[in-house]
Amino acid sequence: MEILSQAWSTLILDPMINSLIWIYSGLGENFGLAIIVFTILVRLITYPLTASQIKSTRGMQEMQKSKKWQDIQKKHKGDREKLAQEQMKLYKEMGVSPFGSCLPTLIQFPIIIGLYQAIIRSLAVTPIQLLELTRHLYPFYNAAALIPLNNYFLWLDLSQPEKDYGIEIAGFTIPILAILVVGTTFLQSRLMTPPSTTGDQGANMSRAMNLYMPLFMGYLAYSFPSGLALYFVTSNLVGILQYGIMGRLDWRNLIPSRFSSDKKKE
Amino acid sequence: MKRKQFIFILVFIGIALTLSACAGAANTATSWPGLTVDDQYAYVAYNTQVYAVDLENGSERWRYPAETDNNITFYSDPALTDDGQLIVGSYDSNLYSLTAETGMQNWVFPDAENRYIASTLVDNGSIFAPAADENLYSLDPDGRLLWTFTSAGESWAKPITDNDCNCLFLPSMDHTVYAIDPQDGTEKWRSEELGGAIVGTPAFDNNGVLYVGTFGGKLFALNAENGAIIWEFSTQDNGWIWSGPTISDGVLYFGDLNGNFYAVEAANGIQKWQRSPEKDKEEIVGSPLVIDENIYFTNNHGFLYKFDSSGKKIWEVNVDPANGKGKIYTSPKTSNGLILVAPIQIDELLVAYNEEGTKKWEFIPAGN
Repeated sequence: MEILSQAWSTLILDPMINSLIWIYSGLGENFGLAIIVFTILVRLITYPLTASQIKSTRGMQEMQKSKKWQDIQKKHKGDREKLAQEQMKLYKEMGVSPFGSCLPTLIQFPIIIGLYQAIIRSLAVTPIQLLELTRHLYPFYNAAALIPLNNYFLWLDLSQPEKDYGIEIAGFTIPILAILVVGTTFLQSRLMTPPSTTGDQGANMSRAMNLYMPLFMGYLAYSFPSGLALYFVTSNLVGILQYGIMGRLDWRNLIPSRFSSDKKKE
Repeated sequence: MKRKQFIFILVFIGIALTLSACAGAANTATSWPGLTVDDQYAYVAYNTQVYAVDLENGSERWRYPAETDNNITFYSDPALTDDGQLIVGSYDSNLYSLTAETGMQNWVFPDAENRYIASTLVDNGSIFAPAADENLYSLDPDGRLLWTFTSAGESWAKPITDNDCNCLFLPSMDHTVYAIDPQDGTEKWRSEELGGAIVGTPAFDNNGVLYVGTFGGKLFALNAENGAIIWEFSTQDNGWIWSGPTISDGVLYFGDLNGNFYAVEAANGIQKWQRSPEKDKEEIVGSPLVIDENIYFTNNHGFLYKFDSSGKKIWEVNVDPANGKGKIYTSPKTSNGLILVAPIQIDELLVAYNEEGTKKWEFIPAGN
C-alpha cells in the first residue's frame, strides 16, 4: 500500500502540483487562471485518448446499427454464450475494440482524481494540508516565495465549496459555478452523443448518461472546493471545442427528440 | 438495461466516495493539538474538544463541549488570562472563553469570518486573537471588541508584545511582520518582504531585536523599533522554518522541515552548531523547549530529544516505541518538572516525561 501511495505521488500528484504552482507563478499568481491553463494542457496531452475513444464509440454504434448484428441477435436470441461469441467475432471483423471506448475514460479517471488532489493540496488552507504540500514540492524552484497561493478568482474562493460562500440573492445562495457545470456537462453530452434509434440499448444508456452525469457533476461542483468545479467547466468547454474541431458535434441533439423525429417525418 | 443503469450509478457512487475520501471526512483532524499548561493542569485543544488534564496523574478534569459537535474544532494553544479564563479559537470562526477551573463557557466572540489557526495572546488584560480572515481582533476580558487590525495575509502565528516599545508584533502569511500599537491597533511599521510565509511566533530579546523564521529557509533578526533587518541566517538547503525560534542565553534554537536543528548566536546570526538527529530528515515543526541549559525538541517521527547547549544529545524517546506511528508537531511544554508532548495519529493525546526521559503518564481521552 505504501509503495502504491508513493508511486501515485511520484507519477501523478507531484508533477501535477508542481506544474500547477509553476503555471500559477507565470500567470501573475492567479490560481484560477492556472487551473484553466493546466486543464487545457491536460486535455491537449490526453487528446489521443479522447480521439481513440470517439473512434471506438462510433465504431461500436455503427456495429450495433448494422444488419449483420441485428441478424445475429435474432438468430441467437436464447443463447447468451453464443451471442457473446458472435459479437466478439463481429468486433474483430469490423476492427472495433470493445474496450476502446471505456479504456480511455478509465485512463482519464486517475488524471481527474490526481488533478482534484493537486488543486486541494496546492491551496492548503490548514496546517496539516500545508505541511503535506511541502512534501510534494520540487526543490529546483522557489515555491516558498509563492506560498500561500492566492485562492481567489473572480467571485470564487477556489479552496471552498460554493455552497459555503456563493452569491446570495433574496436569502438564497446561488451556486453559479455549479449551474455552469451542470449546463456545460449537459451541453457536452448532448452535442457529442450521436442520434440513435429509439429503443436501442445504446440510446437508453445515452439518455441515462445525459440525465445523471450533469446532475452528478453539479453535485460535485456544489459540494467540493470551487477549484474542482472550475476544472469541470473548463474541461467541458475544451472538450466541446475539441469535438467541434474534429467535426463531430451533433447540433441536432440539442433539439428535443420528439420535435427532431417530427421533422424527420416531414 | 436496468442492470447496466445500476452499474452506471454504482460507478458514480464510487467516484463520489473516492473524491470524498480525498477531501477527508468532516471530523478528520486538520491540524495538531494546541497545548498550554499552568501549575496544575495541561489544557489540550484537539479536534472537537478542549481537555483539562491533571498534571499529577494525567486524568481528565473536564472537557469542552460536553457533547461533541463536529462543526466546532480546536487546534490552537489555549491562552490563560489572569482572571482564570481559558481563551481558545475554533475552526468555526468563534473565539471561546471558558472558565479554566471548570470548563464552563463564559462568552463567545463571533465576529471573525474565518477559522482561528493561530493561538491567542493575552497581555496586560487584553486579548489579541489573530484569525485566518486576515484580521487581528483585540478584545477586553469580557469578550468586547476593542479594535481590529487588518493585514494583507492570514495569520497563523501567535503575536508577541514588547512593552518597552509599546509594540505588538504580528507575523503574517503575507511574508511580512507587522508592528502594531496594542492600545489602538494602528500600524507602526511593517517589515520588508521576507521571502516566505511566517507561521511561527517570533522570539524577542531584551536588546530590542525580534527573531523570525520563514518558509524561505531564513531566520531574520529585525530591529523592533523599525523592522529593519539586522542579520539573516540561511538554513541548510533552504529548509523551511515552521515554528519560531526559542531564545536562551543569547542563543536561538530552532528546527527546519528538512529535519535539521540549529543553534545560532542571537548577536550576529553565526551558527554555533547544527544537528540532524535522524537520517531520514524527519520534519521538525514545533518550537524547542529550553529548560536551564537543556533543549527539548520533537519531530515528525514521534521522537522527543534532549540536547545540551553544546549540541550533545543526552537522550531520545519515541512516543510510540511499539509501532512508530506517532508524530509530534506541537511544541513541547513544561510544568512541575514534566516535559509534555501532544502527539497525533496514536491514541495518546498527551504524554508526560520527566527530565530523564522516563514516561510518567499518558492521557487517552475516554470514548476515543
